[in-house]
Order: sequence, then structure tokens, then C-alpha cells
Amino acid sequence: MRSGLAESVVAAAFSRVGQRVLHLDRRSYYAANWASFTFNALLTWIQEHHEESQPEEVQDWSSLLEEGEELIYLLNRDSASITNLQVFCYADRCHGFHPIIQASQTEGEEPTTAAGQSQSEPTRKKISFAHLVKEGRRFNIDLVSKLMYSRGSLVDLLIKSNVSRYAEFKNVTRILTYRGGKVEQVPCSRADVFASRQLSVVEKRKLMRFLTSCVEETEEQRAYNGRPYLEFLCDQQLGDNLQHFLLHSIAMVTEDTPTEEGLASTRHFLRSLGRYGNTPFLFPVYGLGEIPQCFCRMCAVFGGIYCLRHSVSCLLLDKDTNRCKAVIDSRGQRISCSHFVVEDGFIGADWKREATPTRFLSRAVLITDRSILPSDSDQQVSMVTVPPIAAGCPAVKMVELCPSTMTCMPGTYLVHLTCQSAGSAYHDLSPVVTRMFRTPESHDQESSPTLLWCLYFNMADGSGLEGEGHDLPNNVYLCSGPDAGLGHEHAVRQAQAIFQKILPDEEFCPPAPNPEDIVYDGENNSSSTPGDGETLEGEKEKEETLEGEVEKEEKVEGEVEKEEKMEGEVEKEE
Amino acid sequence: MHGRVKVKSTAQQEEEKRKEREKKLKIYVAARDACFSKRKEGICDDEALQITQQLLSSNPDFATLWNYRREILMHLETVRDEDEVQKIYQAELSFLESCLKVNPKSYGSWHHRGWVSTRLPRPDWARELGLCDRCLSLDDRNFHCWDYRRMVVKMSGVPVDQELAFTDRLIGSNFSNYSSWHYRSTLLPLLHPESPEPHSPCREPRRASSPPSPQTHSHRVCEEQLLKEYELVQNAFFTDPNDQSAWFYYRWLLGRAEREEMISCVYVSRDEERVAVAFSRPVNAQSVGLLLVLDGQPQRVEWRSVHPRFKHSPVWICDLPPGTISDVTNEHNLTVHWTEKHTHRDCALYTGDAHESWCRDSATDQELFRSELSVEKTSVLQSELQSCNQLQELEPLNKWCLLTIILLMRALDPLGYEKETLAHFQTLKEVDSMRSAYYSDLCSKFMIENTILKMEYAEVRVFSISDKNVTTLCHLDQLLLVTHINLSSNQLQRLPPQFAMLQCLEVLEADNNSIENLEGVFHLPKLEEVHLKNNKISTLADLQPLASCPKLKRLDLRGNPVTQTANIESELTELLPSVTDLQL
Repeated sequence: MRSGLAESVVAAAFSRVGQRVLHLDRRSYYAANWASFTFNALLTWIQEHHEESQPEEVQDWSSLLEEGEELIYLLNRDSASITNLQVFCYADRCHGFHPIIQASQTEGEEPTTAAGQSQSEPTRKKISFAHLVKEGRRFNIDLVSKLMYSRGSLVDLLIKSNVSRYAEFKNVTRILTYRGGKVEQVPCSRADVFASRQLSVVEKRKLMRFLTSCVEETEEQRAYNGRPYLEFLCDQQLGDNLQHFLLHSIAMVTEDTPTEEGLASTRHFLRSLGRYGNTPFLFPVYGLGEIPQCFCRMCAVFGGIYCLRHSVSCLLLDKDTNRCKAVIDSRGQRISCSHFVVEDGFIGADWKREATPTRFLSRAVLITDRSILPSDSDQQVSMVTVPPIAAGCPAVKMVELCPSTMTCMPGTYLVHLTCQSAGSAYHDLSPVVTRMFRTPESHDQESSPTLLWCLYFNMADGSGLEGEGHDLPNNVYLCSGPDAGLGHEHAVRQAQAIFQKILPDEEFCPPAPNPEDIVYDGENNSSSTPGDGETLEGEKEKEETLEGEVEKEEKVEGEVEKEEKMEGEVEKEE
Repeated sequence: MHGRVKVKSTAQQEEEKRKEREKKLKIYVAARDACFSKRKEGICDDEALQITQQLLSSNPDFATLWNYRREILMHLETVRDEDEVQKIYQAELSFLESCLKVNPKSYGSWHHRGWVSTRLPRPDWARELGLCDRCLSLDDRNFHCWDYRRMVVKMSGVPVDQELAFTDRLIGSNFSNYSSWHYRSTLLPLLHPESPEPHSPCREPRRASSPPSPQTHSHRVCEEQLLKEYELVQNAFFTDPNDQSAWFYYRWLLGRAEREEMISCVYVSRDEERVAVAFSRPVNAQSVGLLLVLDGQPQRVEWRSVHPRFKHSPVWICDLPPGTISDVTNEHNLTVHWTEKHTHRDCALYTGDAHESWCRDSATDQELFRSELSVEKTSVLQSELQSCNQLQELEPLNKWCLLTIILLMRALDPLGYEKETLAHFQTLKEVDSMRSAYYSDLCSKFMIENTILKMEYAEVRVFSISDKNVTTLCHLDQLLLVTHINLSSNQLQRLPPQFAMLQCLEVLEADNNSIENLEGVFHLPKLEEVHLKNNKISTLADLQPLASCPKLKRLDLRGNPVTQTANIESELTELLPSVTDLQL
């Protein structure tokens, strides 16, 4: 239930080893809080969240109860994971206040005349809100902002399972940091260190030596266990420059993080370096929302059934065995099941063992008109670390995406900001935004990118969820929503744990076979080559229809057909 | 398990693959035979083009087929009009592209592409350059592509600065790339040649008589650019001091002066009526056009190298016709012309009872031993030494850094830095024990150079290098005039044939080594004393070369295995009748 990353990986893993999977999501889109939206769809999403405050009425399905069963109602409040939505549009007001209607006529034609702009710089075209809406399909705006570590568990899983064939990836091209009011490039790979102009040759040597030496755990490092990583770095006599880079941009930890944690995170960064490029990170073309969808597709290819805009309203509990025998969907259909995986947002607090009160992430999504650090290439994908700008402020992780990642329209950049919430997203992130971007509120920042549009919201942090110890039927499993980490380790770990609990003897996501190696019923083994060719084509067709199905479901027309299928499926299940 | 996708077993797959291979082979062999027979009959038609294409696309390393294809294409050139030819060759290029995808390092494909590109009526060099860039971005060490790229650059006249920017880009993405560094070293002298006036007059040879040969400094780069290159390469070796490509480029930058070609010494001995000539590099005197003029008369003489093993040697000798210089009352003027190089050297044998005479440049005059590194200014070398020392502080055990420091010290002041050099060699042998013998030899060479310099400063003909761990002998041509050599207490294993260049040697001291071979003690006309105590000479045959030295009187062989041989004394008396003082 719900198609977040962990749920989708679980679905693919089960489907792959021959289990029957029914995957439901009450939304009209895949990937839940991991989704990507076009600009227009994002506006709709925002609209829906503003309207969805009133609680939905709970239908009583107790009439469907059988002997020895009990109902557990699920909550329909997945929207509660998103709060404090705030939208600001500057697109038509950057240089004088044009009403939106007027701007739609000018359509980004007028050149700017901002004072202080250098002559050599090509005149900036103003992009209007109407323009953003018109080109809205070019955007793929992620609700979460994460990157894939090149040697992280998600990349390993994508490769191992062959799911990677459903998506394309781009390298994050550079690591930046905000320091002393300036954006600087962080030299982290050998080539970066070589090319860096900020470092002296001695610093280069020290940095390279530190990076090579910390791959192996040493006695010296162990002596710092429990003491801050910053202290360890200080004692390495690296100098301020390198210390900043290592702490904030490479380890991406805070000043009081213990040394062992800082080193572990540094090693994770370094291990991923150089596998696909000069930074440790990959980003999926068309946005992170692609990843859960890829796993859903894998699930569908191996026979999983997908149903969007469809949810489970309650579970039927067998009192004797404390197992969930079946579920009742939102239309009152009873669907039997042997295991039930659900996002934790649907489960009432009284069933859960909440270790800590729900934490939140602060998110901001910005559309800007140019890169935060212009360079030779205008197609840079940048990871930017912004250390706390004042004491008590959170450290902000920022990802700037260029149009070639297919997440924003040409001429714009899409910027994601994420931090642990202290207050509302606006409260946490707007100081960083006004400092680094040009908004009507900011001053003297002619050289900064102009902010065209921005969205702030808070999202529940899924990292607090405990895997065990809930007061749930013993065949019901919980997945959390997105966590605060930069990578995807949390969700993959969760999915793997669920899979192994249910099928401890099965391989988790074994490689999908090549189409030509699949044996179909009725095909004899000694078939001649032309026969092979036919089945090959047949298989392709089959896959296409399956994939087509997945896509179709997003369309309204697919609805009727899908429901029919759905009913058929339910019959089979019974 | 129910509902699971069934996959073919490995055995099934293997069997299918085997059949597939068999079928392919059959088709391949048939096509190959068809091709060969067509070629035999001299048929150059489209069909042949097609068959070869099929074969080559599965096996692009079939050179005969490429040849056949070229024959066909050249034939088609004669029968089709230009536009058609252009089309044919363009198709050829895209076919080649697919071949290169199969094997990006196929000799045949790259060679054919080069050939096609030059035949193409209207070549598109920009596209070719793009192809190379794509290939190199996939594998920046594909030397086939580098070669082809150089050809494209030459044909299309890509500006040198653009090429330099190209190497910048490659080095920027990964500086462990010999090809890029090397390419840079060929581009820089073209783009930033050294200014015509010599920037370091103190390093010019002092003798103004012969102008520096044109190739002496032609590969040098102007100083401003050099400083930028030093910075670039320092960035590389500070980033990764274990990467040798940058160090090698650095050594190229620091320069390697080429010695002027000349006759460095002429020696004449009245008693032996013999002339010895030393050259700045090994030559074959019989073929370089050597002319000896004595008192205005060209002489017919027979030049021979000091040892029959050498066809090329820096030292050559000849006997003068008997009686030509025996007249002590007349001054004799001797000139040796090296006609090929338009250079000569005079030597006068004065009246009186002078037995010998010579004319030469001293080793110190020629800055002989600094030429390995640098024609660079002292100040530049000094600052480079400083950077290297800085790196060495951070990386005390880095062999490349140590070795470069040693070379810089030698370029700056070989005698002044002798102690540090020896200490660094010691470290090098420890950190890079696999090459300790190389370092020992190199250290020996430097110690010999230092000893030669000291000898020159002292203006003596005695060469003494005892107890210095010398493992090998070199620069023996510089010791042509030495009369007394002391090599005692080193680690020498042999006196090599080059040793025969010590034409004036009278006393040889080589006690306490590990010498087992005396090949080089050969026809030394003045040699009288040989001390070989505590060495490893084990057979009488090893002493055979000594028999060629007519004046040998004293021989000390104590502590050698050979002394244990039966009848050794009588055998030796027979072998070396001139020896009167034999110690066993």
C-alpha cells in the first residue's frame, strides 16, 4: 500500500521471486512523497494540500466481518506528512511589478536593465510565471531531494536487479560550498584537487594525503572515538580551508559530530568517488520520482498488479492468529492477503511504538534563472553544502539541477534545499534563500541568480520509524516515508529487512533474466533459431504491453479497464 | 516455486551459443574464401566491397581484406565521378566507425581510416577531430587514436594553441596521461619558442669559435611559459607524488642540454708515436671523415677504437708513420679535423725532451656533468629545488621527489651538495629496494663525476675514488690523460672494455673490490703496476688481457682465488713475461 521507494522495492522483490503482488496507492500518481511533478502538477498538488484539511468520513465496513475477525481501520491522512506549504512567485515582479495577465503577453521578451550588470554578460531574459506554466511539462520537481551515492545500496540494488535499465542517470558534476558569503567549488577528486586554484600546492598534498589515509582505520583515528570530528581535523594540521571542505562538504556533518561518525561518512563519500565521475553522486534523469516507478515497473513485468486512486480502508484481523487475513478496499471489496506492507502514515498512533516524536524536514524548491556558480558549462549539476549561517541555524543541503537533467525548462535551474526542521520550512530556509538568491527582499546581490518561483513545505522525516516492536498483526509491515539522509540507504535497508523477514531463504532482487533466456510455456527446449526469434519478439511485445499498462494507469481513460482487471484479480485471489 | 519465471539453464545457453558459433564460423569461412578467390581474379566490384565489409565488421583485424578493400576503392576512384567517390568514402568512414566500436584498438581499422581520410575528395576534418575526442574521452590512452589524431591535426592545420588547450583539458580530467604530457612537450616549443638571444649566457660554451649547433636549444620554451608549466606540473605532483607521468614531464621541463659535438681532446705521445683523440660522443672514426694533418701534411693513418668490441667509441687511436715525430729539435703541429661536423682541434708537440702533449677542454669548462638537467637559470633551479624540498618534508619517502631533488642539486652545485646527495641516495635505496642497484650505479656515476671535477680543479693526472661504494665505472673517456688511478675498496665487479680508454695509465690500484673480469686492461701502452689484492679473479684466463700491456712489471694478486691454482707462478711467468715483481 502506497508506492514510496521502500514499498516499491518490496513489491519488485516479491514479484521477482514469483509472489503475487497487488500494489495500491490512493493517489493518482506513483511514488507518494518520493514523487516528481511537472510544474503544473505541482501546482495542483499544492492546491490539493490546501483543500485537504477536512477529515474524510470513515465508512463502516463491519458488515463484511466474518467469524473470529476484527477490523483495524487505516487512517486516510497521508497528507498529514506535508505541512506549512508556502508559495512565492517572483517571476513577474523581479524588475517592476507586472500583473500576471500582462506578463503572459510579453512572454519573457523583455531584456533586463538591472543596474550593476556587467556589459559582457548576455542580457538576461525575464521568465514570466505564464512562461513557467506554459513550459511546465519540462519540469520534474521532486518532493524529496536526495542523491544516489555511486557505491550506495540503491545503486548496487539497481545494478544487481537490472532495474537500472529502466532509467538514465547523470553525474553530479561538482560539489560546492557556501563560505564567507561566497560559493566555492570543493575539490574532492584527484582531478579537482589538481585543477583547484584556491589551494596551495602544500594544501593539495595535505588534502590528498588526508583523503587517502582516512580510507583505512588507524589506531590514531580510534583514539578520537567519541570526540568531535572537528577536533580530529584540527589536530591533522590541515588549515581552515581544508577543514571546512572536509567537515561540511565531504563528511557533511556538524561541528559536534563524533569522529567515528565523521570518518564513516567521509569514507562513504570517498568510496563512491570516481566510480562514474568526479563526484560521488548520481542523479536520475527526469527526477528522483523515477526510481520508485522503475521498481514498480519491474514488479509489473513479473506479474504485479497496480492500482492507483485505490486504497485499503481497513484490515481484517484473525483474532486467533493475530494475522491480517484480508483487507477491505475503499469500495468495500474484500481482498485476501498473506502479507500486508503499508506506509506508517496509515497506521494509527495507538498501534505504533513511536520511539521519538515525529520529526520534520524543511524543504524549499526554487526555480532560478541561472546557476549559483556560473562556469564554462551551463549544464552543471551541483551539490551545495551550506553550513549553519548563524549559531543555532541548521546546516542546509542544496542541490542545483540544470535543464539537461530534464527537471526544469531551458534557461532555468531547479534548486532544492533540505534541512532538519527547527521551525517551519520558511523560517528555516528563507534566510539562506535571501542570502544566496536575488529576491525583492535581498539587497546588493546583483550577481546572484534571480529567484523566479519558490515553494516551502515541511515533510515528515521517516528516519524515526522503528522496524520492530509495533503492536501490529504479525504479517503487517511498516515502511516509512523519505528520511533526512542524502542517500537512499534508509529505504533500501527497510525494504530488504521486510523481504528477509517474510522470505528469509529467497534472494533479494536477483538479476532479471535477459528476454532471450526466458522459457515460455509450450516452448520446447530444442527449438530452432527462427522460433527463438519469434519468442524474442513476442516477449518484447509482452513487456511493452505490461509497461504500457503501467503508463496507462496514469491516464483517466485507463480507469475502466483497470477496474475490470482489478476485479478479475480479486476473484483470482479468493 | 509456482508462478516463477523459468530461465534457460546454463547448459542450454552454452549449447545454443555453441551452435550459433558454429553457424557463424561456416558463414565466415565461406565469405572469406569467396573474397580470396575474387581478389585472385582481380575483381573490384561492389559485391566484393560488400563481402569484405561483412567480414571486417566481425573481424576488423584482417589486414589482407583491408588491402583488398583499398584496391577496390582505388579502382572505383577511376571509374566513378567525384561526387560518387565522395559518397563511397563517406560510407567507408561510417563503416569504419562501426568497426572501431567493435575494437577501438584495431590497427587495421585506424590505418584504413587514415588512408580513407586522405583519399576523401572533400574531407571533413572537424568531424574526424570530433571522433578522436569521443574516442579519447572513452579511453584517454588509446595510442591508435592519438596517432590518428596527430595526422588529422596535421592535415587540417589545427592551430597549435587549440591543441595545447586540448591537452589542458585531458590533463585536467586525469593527469596520469603520458600521451597528453608528451604532446604538450611537442607543442610548447612551437607556440612559445625560446627568445632568440640566449637567456643564460653563463651556460653557453666558453669557446666562441664554433656556433652552437642548431639543435642545441631548439626544443626549449620561453621562460614565461616555462614558469606556468612548472606550476602546472607541481600541482600534479603535489596532488599525487606517486604518479610518474608528471615527474617525467617535469624532468623534460627542467631541460636536458645537448652537448655540443666536438673533439674534446687530442693527445700525442712521442715514444709510442701514437695519437689518441676523444670525442664528445661515441663515434665511428672510420666513417665520420677524420683527417689528421701533421706539420701541414695530411697523413694516412689507421684509426682504431681502444677495444675491438667497440664499433663506436668516444676515444680513438692511431699510430703515426714511424719517425714522423721523433725529431726532438723540431716543433710538431698536429691538427685533427672532424670534417663531417666542420670542427677540428690542434695540438703542438714542442721541442725538447717532451714525451707527450695534449690539447683539451677541461670537464669543468664544459659544465659537462650538469647537462643532464637543465640549461635553466640557477635562480629557477633554486626555486624548483625549494618546492621539491617542501614536498619532501611532507612526503619524506617519495622516491620521485628524492630523485628529482638529487638531479636538481647536481644541476646546481654537484660538489657543494655531495653530502645531501649521498644521504638521499641512501634513503632511496631503502624505500625503493627493488631498484637499489640502479641507485647504486647512479650514485657511482655522480661520485665519479665529482671526483673528475675535483681532479680537474687540482690540475693533476691522478684519479682517486677509494672507499666510495662505487659499483660501476663510467665517464672513462674523461680519464684519457690519467696516469694513476685508485679504485680501492669499492664494489666493482669488472674493469669493463671502456677501461682501455685510459691510454696514459701507469699505475692501477684496485685492491679490495669484487673484480672477476679484467677485459678493459687491454693494450695500455704505459701500464706498469697493477694492484688487485683481495678480488675475485679465479682463473688464469681472466688474466689474459694483461698480456697485451707491454710494460707491466708489478702485479699483486694476493687474496684472489686464482692464486690457489696449481703451478700458478710458472703459468703466470709464461703468460706475463714482462712482470718482474709478482705477489701471490
